Amino acid sequence: MSNALALVRSRRWSIRRLQNWELTTGFFVVGLLLVASLLAPYLAPYPPNQVNVLVALQGPSWHHWMGTDFVGRDVWSRVLFGLRIDVLIVALITYLGLVVGVIIGTVSGYVGGWFDAIVGRVADTVVAFPFIVLVLAVVAIVGPGLKGVAIGIVIVGWALYARLARAEMLSLREQPFIMSTRALGYSHLRTIFRHALPNLVRTSLVYSTVDVVVNMLVLAGMSYLGLGQQAPGADLGSIIASGQGYLLSAWWITTLPGAVLVLFGFGVSLIGDGITRGDLAQGRL
Amino acid sequence: MTAGPTLEVEGLSKSFALRRGWTDAVARRKRPAHAAVDDVSFQLAPGEILGLAGGSGSGKTTLARMIIRLVEPDAGRITFDGVDVRSLSGRALRETRRRMQMVFQDPYSSLNPRMSVGAAILEAGRVHHQSGSEHPEQFVARFLDFVRLPAATARRRPEELSGGQRQRVAIARALAVGPDVVIADEAVSALDVSIQTQLLNLFLDLRDELGLSIIFVAHQLSVIAEVADRVAIMHLGRVVEVGPTAEVFRAPRDEYTRSLLAAHPHPAPLRASSKLREETS
Repeated sequence: MSNALALVRSRRWSIRRLQNWELTTGFFVVGLLLVASLLAPYLAPYPPNQVNVLVALQGPSWHHWMGTDFVGRDVWSRVLFGLRIDVLIVALITYLGLVVGVIIGTVSGYVGGWFDAIVGRVADTVVAFPFIVLVLAVVAIVGPGLKGVAIGIVIVGWALYARLARAEMLSLREQPFIMSTRALGYSHLRTIFRHALPNLVRTSLVYSTVDVVVNMLVLAGMSYLGLGQQAPGADLGSIIASGQGYLLSAWWITTLPGAVLVLFGFGVSLIGDGITRGDLAQGRL
Repeated sequence: MTAGPTLEVEGLSKSFALRRGWTDAVARRKRPAHAAVDDVSFQLAPGEILGLAGGSGSGKTTLARMIIRLVEPDAGRITFDGVDVRSLSGRALRETRRRMQMVFQDPYSSLNPRMSVGAAILEAGRVHHQSGSEHPEQFVARFLDFVRLPAATARRRPEELSGGQRQRVAIARALAVGPDVVIADEAVSALDVSIQTQLLNLFLDLRDELGLSIIFVAHQLSVIAEVADRVAIMHLGRVVEVGPTAEVFRAPRDEYTRSLLAAHPHPAPLRASSKLREETS
């Protein structure tokens, strides 16, 4: 018995670790970028905003891994600091949206009735509204800067999670193990947070890996348009924007930070795929 | 049997509204309704096992769920230990639900897949401040022992257990809150015959050891014959016949009961199952 169980356990481990190269690679790539951005002050060879026109527009070299921009700032240092602020903000807003959305959705699906109807319609409306337009509108109100973009994304972000969680809750509600919590005389709060939520948050977590990438691109996109990070602060979008006038003469200013952005998105997507695949291998999703 | 509380159900009814098409609306026909349970009355004495039999759709499960108010009845009275169950709400309702536990049909979905067996049993006890629940290990082991599972099962997750083991865990969890009545809603129907027999014997033992009253819902007459002292036969939402199990099965008075008995694979379920019991015990 215990031997057989040990066998089952070890097999599950091998599935997770060996077959799931997506998860392994994803965590490796994202982990590397996260560590690099968190340690930016230590890893960056130059202060990110240090201007030195004598070395302006130099190509990648041992002194400047990603070259320098039009005022001689080290692109690599700026990428590290830029990535840092992007990752920080994206993680914060994505998972704030997830937490708020999942709680609202779960409660709404559990309670049902008019509360559910209202939450459902509000979420539908938010989701139906063009995402970028809404973010632009918020930026117009709050003023250009990462804050406005972040607020805009959160206002939209919760709704999808709310819809996901609500749909899951509706099917969970009919599951005997949720019904049995009522039969056992558990409180509503206990049923929702201890029994329902842990069983439905997974779909939202998987979806959040897509969301992180999308939000990252929106954030960078807004900065690129000049509505996000303001000069001289660095974030990936603004670095890319600053190099676009030199694309032919100094390709590295746009291309290399762009590659870092792509790499990050690639890694996060791999994690999402890995989680999904791991679940399929275990027969649950 | 020790004098425990009595459960009394009187004139319990529940109908589910069907969709009203627009032609009905135009013709001002009333919204059609399907009477799932229609004017059902019975009594459950302390320590008694009442079998609730009937074909699919006869209203057994709805009736069982109404008793602990998982489904709200349209009409009728439920009296438990002298208290009108239908008037309860909040804390009092939870307390009454504690005293009347339910075991569900599908053992594969009646346990939270993310909770270990021990955690599930302990939670049930803790929520209702059951004595002994301050010592997790002993508490869990005690209830696992009630359902004849080794104490080591506490660390397992539902996915590692067989259907029969899961159903035992579900029973242990129900027992952990200290109920007087257990409603087993098709609790053995999803299991194979040898496991069924083991679980039926377990229910009989629990009745004897803990003085539980049990309502045993099943569509298999052989199962009812095995455990029930009295049986109520349901058909289309109504109880068509009630009486001591042996009597009803030997000399059914109602026509539906007769057809039900005739349709059963064992011509004489009572004899077949009593033989089975001898073999296994």
